[in-house]
Amino acid sequence: MSDLVLSATQMEVKRERSAIGSLRLVQTACILVIALVIISPLFMLLVASLKDDRFQILADMGSFRAFWVSNPTLSNFAEVGNLSGELAYGRYLLNSLIILAATVGAGLIVNSMAGFVLAWGSLRGRALILSLVIALYVIPQESIIMPLVIMVSRAGMTDTFAVQIIPWVASPLYIFLFYQFFAQLPKELFEAAEMDGASVFRIYRSIFLPLSLPALATVSILMGIEAWNQYLWPILVTQTDYARPIAVAIATFFGQDSIYWDRAMAASVLMMLPILALYLAFQRWFVSSFVGSAVKG
Amino acid sequence: MTLQQPALPATAVARPARRRDRGRLFQEIGMLAPAVVLLTIFLVVPFLLSFWTAMTNQPLVPRPTPVRFIGLTNFLRILKDDLFWTSLWNVSRFTFWVIPVQCGLAFATALLLHQKLPFRNVFRGMFFLPAITSMVVVCVIWGTLFQYPTGPLNQILGFLSAGRIQPIDWLGDPNWAMFSIVLLSAWQAYGFQMIVYLAGLQGIPDELYDAARIDGANAFQRFWHVTMPGLRPTHVFVLVITTIQAFKLYTQVAVLTQGGPKSSTETVVHYMVRTGFEEQKLGLASAVSVILFLIVLVIALLQRQLLRRFDV
Repeated sequence: MSDLVLSATQMEVKRERSAIGSLRLVQTACILVIALVIISPLFMLLVASLKDDRFQILADMGSFRAFWVSNPTLSNFAEVGNLSGELAYGRYLLNSLIILAATVGAGLIVNSMAGFVLAWGSLRGRALILSLVIALYVIPQESIIMPLVIMVSRAGMTDTFAVQIIPWVASPLYIFLFYQFFAQLPKELFEAAEMDGASVFRIYRSIFLPLSLPALATVSILMGIEAWNQYLWPILVTQTDYARPIAVAIATFFGQDSIYWDRAMAASVLMMLPILALYLAFQRWFVSSFVGSAVKG
Repeated sequence: MTLQQPALPATAVARPARRRDRGRLFQEIGMLAPAVVLLTIFLVVPFLLSFWTAMTNQPLVPRPTPVRFIGLTNFLRILKDDLFWTSLWNVSRFTFWVIPVQCGLAFATALLLHQKLPFRNVFRGMFFLPAITSMVVVCVIWGTLFQYPTGPLNQILGFLSAGRIQPIDWLGDPNWAMFSIVLLSAWQAYGFQMIVYLAGLQGIPDELYDAARIDGANAFQRFWHVTMPGLRPTHVFVLVITTIQAFKLYTQVAVLTQGGPKSSTETVVHYMVRTGFEEQKLGLASAVSVILFLIVLVIALLQRQLLRRFDV
């Protein structure tokens, strides 16, 4: 009797195992199809950027040659990467890099300091400030952009780097992310340092900041993507090439009648590289800390 | 984000008063000040100004005639403008399409990658690539894919259907233009949602699955009675984020279609920017921005309610 039952379960297990095996196969096939859909446009971009003939690029689009380049050349990159010249994107790329570095750098300092004081400070209005910061998160950038343009143009700030950096340094989301990260660290850290007579800034600077690598990485990636990909704000506040970022330059180029696809593709590839590097450097910490705090609130 | 207010750390609340000396207070104020000042100047002030500007006849370029307070006239004018309603209808259509395409794909991918498939970390990184790609670059890529009549998408469709599907003018046909924007937007942004779903799946305790298995639940029952309830907050989060993002649709439209053809891709933000900077009617544009804020606020409040109902 018990033998019978046992063999029945064994058979069931066996059947389930083979079912799992074929399920794995189907799942792997699905993932490969999705990967193809997601990656092939990017791959096509890369391949096209290596072709020198802009008419050929469009002609190739209709066939599998869109994914193949017989004699790859870096001439598009050489042309586009220049600092001067008609289609030189090096300058815009440099502008974007300056804006990216300054925004993220200042943002890490300003937001982490605020998050730290909100988590561990002794200010009386702390809880109130925290709830205000959280409430501000609801305001979308798009709905303050009109008055902001007036404000910065009255202040004579149009066409500068500052106007593309300073307004986006402080952010409710990143203050909150830092607050959350600091608040979950053990109180003994703070108390022990305080006993030793360390000042608040000292405790932040030498103890909490070095421990907050995951938060710093997450905020760097998020702020980096945001700063790098800004489009609406820079078209409203830049009129000349002086501080224009690469996103606006590529889009302007797109509006022209005869598009130099080869150069556009090369410029696009160049635009992907810095943010890709940032992502690859920090992704280890990014997923766990960003998502953990975002979903669980 | 679901920015619900968490409890302050317990220690921080009950701190002896004697330690609250002056030096420390100044330091704390000094560390908080940059953020507070910046947020006030660049977020709070323009936000309040947008309400004020919306009720004036403020032009973009200062004129000798003084700016007048005109009450709700701007709002009434917008509500009477057919193009505004078209833009609202278009972003609603966009949302209606992008949610199943983008969130559905993200959910399916996350479920697959949650299994122990080979190279799943490689896939995860790969699927996130479009999300870090600038929307302008995405427009360059998809602008070529959408070429009419011989672009890659049309070629693939023709090949798969053995020539039965006629080439589609993706961006030039009013019936297709918004759907084309949906395709490229979903492709770009779905990596974020996928990662959010993955985290949600990881947050469901294994014990629940084991218990369900012992109770004799099959794979589908486990999915329906363990996975889905466990993902409720994630679903709410993803839906809300996607909806808010959808209502802010701008860059794709500005780069690829400028709202055309025949206003079929006109969006609220694109309408706002055009009113403010091409027609130079800043008061009118500010009224649109106030309406946009109200829409986003309602969606965010709805999210709070939903989460509370689900008792998260």
